[in-house]
Amino acid sequence: MPSNLITAILYAMVIAAVYAIFYYLNHKTPLPKGCENLKVECEGCKISSCELHPSHNIKEEVHG
Amino acid sequence: MSELFSLFLAAVLINNIVLTKFLGICPFLGVSKKLDSAFGMGVSVIFVIVGASIMSYGLYYLVLVPLGIEYMKLITFILVIATFVQFTEMFIKKYSPALYKSLGIYLPLITTNCVVLQVALDNISNEFNFIEMVIYSFAVPAGFMMVLLLFATIRERLETSEIPEAFKGNPIALVVAAIMALAFSAFAGLV
Repeated sequence: MPSNLITAILYAMVIAAVYAIFYYLNHKTPLPKGCENLKVECEGCKISSCELHPSHNIKEEVHG
Repeated sequence: MSELFSLFLAAVLINNIVLTKFLGICPFLGVSKKLDSAFGMGVSVIFVIVGASIMSYGLYYLVLVPLGIEYMKLITFILVIATFVQFTEMFIKKYSPALYKSLGIYLPLITTNCVVLQVALDNISNEFNFIEMVIYSFAVPAGFMMVLLLFATIRERLETSEIPEAFKGNPIALVVAAIMALAFSAFAGLV
């Protein structure tokens, strides 16, 4: 295996780990008071996989 | 100096990222119903693009090029943008609740905004120096914000206008966007 490829794999692992750490820290940080129910008023596109698509709210209400 | 001004003007008006390359259409349509939301989104996009571009530019020339792994730039830039957004969200959550209340909700949406990645890639493919990179990274989102604000004011007026049933909502918004793109094409010979 060429050393260049090993470097690339190690590098990818490092930046992915950095992202994972910041993701964890961000989700661990408590929301400020009064910001618990903030939602973006997005009704734009039809990409239902987007987490902001209104269809996700409907599903939550149905299951919740 | 005049070259930098030309670069700025071209990125804002002539090669406006929304109206010429059709990038960032999702937030352009989704967060343009109210002027307040459009303003918040625009400010957040400027902040994230400038920050993420500086970080990705530095990583490319200080890490990827010396290691000879330039082909890793795409995965690097995607992760840099995502990391920067997470860091920014965490920082303003902790130290500026008021700012989080007005801008924080737009930050996760920006991660999926393809304009951010396009600017980071443009900075490398155009071989900009540091100053040019900063100017370009500010100009592109400034153009995005300007068009978003213009579009939001038009859409607010459309809410109270008489529109045929079939055109209500996104169809009339796309017609307006097409007319704006035509209008902006008149700037082509400016610089």
